Amino acid sequence: MDFWTGQLSYIHDVFKPIIIAVLIFSPILLAAFAVGFYRRLALWRVGRSDSRSGNVLARVRTTLGVALAHLRLLSEAYPGWMHFLIFWGAAMVIVGKLIRLFSYPVGIDNPPQEVFLYSSLMSEIGAVVIIIGGLLAVYRRYVLKPSRLDTKPDDTLIFPWVFLILVTGFLIKGYRIATSDADPTDWATWSPIGYGFSKIMATFATDYRDQILVWHRVVIHTVPAFLFGIYVFITRSRIQHLWLSPLNIFFRSLRPKGELVPIDLENAEVWGASKIEDFTWKQLLDLDACTRCGRCEDNCPANLSGKALSPKKLVQDLREHLYEVYPYPVKKPAETRRDMLSEVITEQVIWDCTTCRACQEACPVYVEHIDKIIDMRRNLALERAEFPESAQQALMSLQSRGHPWRGTTATRTDWMADLGIKVLSEDSNVDVLYWVGCTAALEDRNMKVAIATAKIMQAMGINFGILGVEETCCGDPARRMGDEYLFQTLCQKNIELFKGYGIKKIVTTCPHCFNTLKHEYPQFGGKFEVVHHSELLADLIRQGKLRLGSIQGMKVAYHDSCYLGRHNDIYQQPRQVLDSISGLTRVELARSGKRAFCCGGGGGHMWMEEPAEQRLNVRRTEQVIEAGVDVVATACPFCLSMFEDGLKAKEKEDSIAALDLSELVVRALTGQPSE
Amino acid sequence: MDAALRAIAVFLEVLVLTGIIYCVLNGVRLAALDFGIAQRFSRPIVLFLAAVGSLLVVFFASHLSIFYPSY
Ligand code: SF4
Ligand code: SF4
Repeated sequence: MDFWTGQLSYIHDVFKPIIIAVLIFSPILLAAFAVGFYRRLALWRVGRSDSRSGNVLARVRTTLGVALAHLRLLSEAYPGWMHFLIFWGAAMVIVGKLIRLFSYPVGIDNPPQEVFLYSSLMSEIGAVVIIIGGLLAVYRRYVLKPSRLDTKPDDTLIFPWVFLILVTGFLIKGYRIATSDADPTDWATWSPIGYGFSKIMATFATDYRDQILVWHRVVIHTVPAFLFGIYVFITRSRIQHLWLSPLNIFFRSLRPKGELVPIDLENAEVWGASKIEDFTWKQLLDLDACTRCGRCEDNCPANLSGKALSPKKLVQDLREHLYEVYPYPVKKPAETRRDMLSEVITEQVIWDCTTCRACQEACPVYVEHIDKIIDMRRNLALERAEFPESAQQALMSLQSRGHPWRGTTATRTDWMADLGIKVLSEDSNVDVLYWVGCTAALEDRNMKVAIATAKIMQAMGINFGILGVEETCCGDPARRMGDEYLFQTLCQKNIELFKGYGIKKIVTTCPHCFNTLKHEYPQFGGKFEVVHHSELLADLIRQGKLRLGSIQGMKVAYHDSCYLGRHNDIYQQPRQVLDSISGLTRVELARSGKRAFCCGGGGGHMWMEEPAEQRLNVRRTEQVIEAGVDVVATACPFCLSMFEDGLKAKEKEDSIAALDLSELVVRALTGQPSE
Repeated sequence: MDAALRAIAVFLEVLVLTGIIYCVLNGVRLAALDFGIAQRFSRPIVLFLAAVGSLLVVFFASHLSIFYPSY
């Protein structure tokens, strides 16, 4: 206890100014935070309403999970652990200091007071941990300089500021120790760094000791610390994510990941977003909560393929625009403003997105990029009638022929000739509807997938049927291209059809149809059990009904479809199917699972022209070639087509095959290729 | 404390103080701008704060040189 009693002579001299500073600055800090918070609140409230209050427990759980356990952040080792050290170091310092401050009113000469000893040690360890994390951050930002990070002067200021606050903390302690008569061994135990500082510090004569020197040593520590608090809480500093990130995570979307919010076409004042106020308050909070970490950009396939879209820049550009339209103090919007859909975010950027969700899966603060992009597309599509030429043609085909495959002469039943499959208009006594989807029904290569799937279901004795010519597009391409009106028309028509046939269960091979039928049809009263064929196959294998033979000497990589993986968390089932084929060696691609690289076909891009040098499918095919496999397996018709094209572009179609899971299963069942 | 060590100690303390003053005043500048002071006043604010900062550094340097123990 020498550590405490040894401090007695000067503790009051040191603590008095700190207490005075706390008393003066705490209300100022609180007031500044309140003003800053009110300002932000006023800004967010210019947006439309959105209910994000349900399921508080799940919200708290995720918020704590990210804040305390660093979920998502630790998926990247260097920045993750760097942040972990800084966060937990700061937590240790703050808790240590609060306990320490508490010792002033309750007294320090009143054993047992071990808790104060530990708090002293905890603060010192915390400060060292922050410094280590800070050095890692400085090294990364100024030496490694990853391209995804942009550095503003405010960012740079934080580093010396925090460092100096910590060093002056050690200085104060060192001074107290230097003037104490306590047993040195005790000091070294409870305050090792302060003790080290005391060894190199001069002490002042008693006359001065209690005077201004004590004051200024304390003041240079506490005043900057408080100003730092104010700066952090109210300014544009990156560190304001201390409060903005938990807020944004708390209000994150709890809807199914792949579900888009419908427009109330009859009552909405505006369709989609053409002005910043057309976004919801949560979408505006997103803009403020972005920490500019660049993880989204680093995972965005469009960005990595050299397209104009960067999800980070999109968010930052919208944020800048928000502050431009509503300069402080927030009263009324600026009289002249840039057009959001051409001058702030270009049309090119808006159409570049494949809605693959890689950005959202990577974002540590749960910013929702896709909804914003789709809202802007909706306005372009529904109010301005501005689309890329090729998208427009696909939409016209959807409208007139019920599918986006402009130019095809095939009919929806060509693929099933001689297979003896029930068509519901002739016999609706089925347990399962096989929803074929436009691509598997009408595109030559994908017809083989429909055939393979049907053969498997027949072999398994499943009583299924198809809609045949009655089937129209599920509406996914229309919705993702912004044509909500067309989507809702198709969706309602299909729901009526399903209900008319008493459909309960639907199996589909297309993850896009799967996602739309499963998550978006319920918005319009269409609730059905929807199963993707990878789930069905895995289930049959697990139940022992489907026993697969072997395919010898084949090396296969499974490519995760965005709408199966990131949008629906189906990662394991396709792998289980492949793993149940003996003789087949499965390898992972460099980017797989949650980080899988998009094939480039989602978000309506299946029907949009792309410049040859920016094609995502070619990028993904290169990754397949690097893996040195014989087969790239997919579970999505878009991915399959994209790989077919990619392999041709890389002249590898003879050495690497792109196959659907169902085709591999048929081969394992029969020993023959599925056709 | 011998004269050379004393000079180094004073220098180091002034260095820490200068750093702190720089950071604090910069924080004041940014906070002022965030509270709505127009960007065009940024330069006069910088000049004013630089003058205040310099005076503070001079004060602390002289203060430390007088008070710093020499025994
Ligand atoms: S959804 Fe995919 S393509 Fe769109 S911004 Fe995000 S990462 Fe990029
Ligand atoms: S949107 Fe998310 S991932 Fe992207 S820069 Fe902002 S915080 Fe980082």
